[in-house]
Amino acid sequence: MSSRFDADAGKVFGIRTDLLEQFIETVRRDLKAKVGVVIVTLFLFAAVFAPELAPHDPMAQDFIPLSQPALSAETPLGTDSYGRDLLSRLMYGARISLGVGLGAVVFGAVTGVVLGLLAGFYGGWIDDVLMRGVDVMWAFPWLLIAIMLVSIFGQGVWNVVIAVGFAYIDDFARITRGEVLSIREEEYMLAAESVGLGDLEIVFEEVFPNTVAPIIVQFTVLVARAMLAEATLSFLGLGVKPSTPTWGALLGQGRDFITQAWWISIIPGILIMITVLGINLFGDALRDAFDVREVDAE
Amino acid sequence: MGLRTYLLKRLVHAVFVMFFVVTVVFAAVRSIPGDPARLMLGGDVDTETLNALRAELGLDAPLYIQYLRWLGRLLSGNLGESIRTGEPVLASLAQVAGPTLSIAGLGMVIALVIAVPTGILSAVKRYEIEDYLSTTVGFFGISMPAFWIGIVLILLIGVNVPAIPTFGYTPINEGVVAWLSSILLPAFAVGFPYGGILMRMMRSSMLEVLNEDYIRTAQAKGLPTNLVLFKHGLQNALIPVVTLAGIFLAVVLGGVVAVEIVFGIRGLGRLLIGSINRRDFPMIQGTVLVIAFVFVLANIVVDLLYTMINPRIKYGGGD
Repeated sequence: MSSRFDADAGKVFGIRTDLLEQFIETVRRDLKAKVGVVIVTLFLFAAVFAPELAPHDPMAQDFIPLSQPALSAETPLGTDSYGRDLLSRLMYGARISLGVGLGAVVFGAVTGVVLGLLAGFYGGWIDDVLMRGVDVMWAFPWLLIAIMLVSIFGQGVWNVVIAVGFAYIDDFARITRGEVLSIREEEYMLAAESVGLGDLEIVFEEVFPNTVAPIIVQFTVLVARAMLAEATLSFLGLGVKPSTPTWGALLGQGRDFITQAWWISIIPGILIMITVLGINLFGDALRDAFDVREVDAE
Repeated sequence: MGLRTYLLKRLVHAVFVMFFVVTVVFAAVRSIPGDPARLMLGGDVDTETLNALRAELGLDAPLYIQYLRWLGRLLSGNLGESIRTGEPVLASLAQVAGPTLSIAGLGMVIALVIAVPTGILSAVKRYEIEDYLSTTVGFFGISMPAFWIGIVLILLIGVNVPAIPTFGYTPINEGVVAWLSSILLPAFAVGFPYGGILMRMMRSSMLEVLNEDYIRTAQAKGLPTNLVLFKHGLQNALIPVVTLAGIFLAVVLGGVVAVEIVFGIRGLGRLLIGSINRRDFPMIQGTVLVIAFVFVLANIVVDLLYTMINPRIKYGGGD
């Protein structure tokens, strides 16, 4: 079990380097992993450097709607229904996708990991109460949670982040609790207790490093799903502000012009697909590298 | 623990979950900004009319009284009336249940038809061309938003095959063929991503089963490979897939909401989004509750199925 804590593994600034080495080895071996790494890198690059890379102002209107078809020299991917450059809008949209995707999963992960550590470490009634709560969330469709939260708190980046991330708390809580339970009885835990480490110290020094591998894998998979969720909410008009160029919103706006200007809908959709595919491939590579079993709760 | 005790425990749990959901929905909808009475009357109204309406709607009572009244009404099966149309919420929901259930149902069938054979094939032919093809299709499935698949289908099939409608829904009593063709494209859009997830699960579950001792023993006994696969392998490989079928209902339902919008179908999704835009609180409450109820019910059915296909299960053993 390579994901188990290895006493000889090196640490750089407290981060385990054995996981990174295993990942690099997998990427070297596996074509799918290479494709995933390339797509993720390109996506990150476009999102981070959108202001420098975008050929036009994403908000600048041409006032000759639908004047530019796809693949013209001036606007390589065409313009939207207001004559705004689609390529530039997509680059800025990548920032929203990335931001909401990462933000939502960070929110879900931090909340879920803390709950899972508490439940697994203390057991007893704390475990019961926390995990029953998580069970209830498990039995609830995420989209409804998100739609309800957005309709209560209104639109906006942070509200979408929380609305989407809320649904992921239970995944992380469950994984963390499971890992904690499986390593609790191992010798180094007993050793840590016997040398008198406090509860919090044990959790962060001994338990947490062991849960890192499965959590990284789940994190990656969920970023892909969070991006799909954000796209769906934006498409339904419940995402961040309607004027903000997000991939889902662009796709939704293009739907009304599907027969006259197919590219407005189809290109953002292809971009969503390729990016999510890339992140999923990346996640699979991590799973292989860390030898983590596919998590049952999908 | 016997089967009966287990079922009872499961039922008590379900009631607890529903009570929790009811409370959360009440709290959530009450925290939506805006006074329903003012919204109903619109624009400028004098305080007297406003107060009269608030009294009529029961909004003047303390919150816990409102909550208890609401609970009481729910127990008698009354979900209230729309503050926009005055129509009973339950009647509106009954109207849209047809299209949504049809799409979700056919979507699940399509997903299973895609996922089970390709999942098995790719496990049996691991690292061969069949495996690569199937896993690639699965990867695409989990990477596309359902509503976008819908748009692509309209563009590709709707435009070229006029026999298949791309807008609206035909009820089943107006002809089975017309009904099927009206839900075919939306159901495919919903089913394909679900099929992708299911296929990946089916594959990993089948791979695990193929490694089990009893499969090796059966093969060593000289039983034909196909018989071994279907008699011993499939049944066991399906167990984790069925366990999670309830969760997948979430994926399907999430997909249906957006896909209904794409195909202009008046279903649960359109009703919900419309009610949110119109701030129709009783309607939002009712829709969310009914979906949650279906969910809890589906999870119980899944549990029962699970005990049926896996006779060795210990009721209420480890979670």
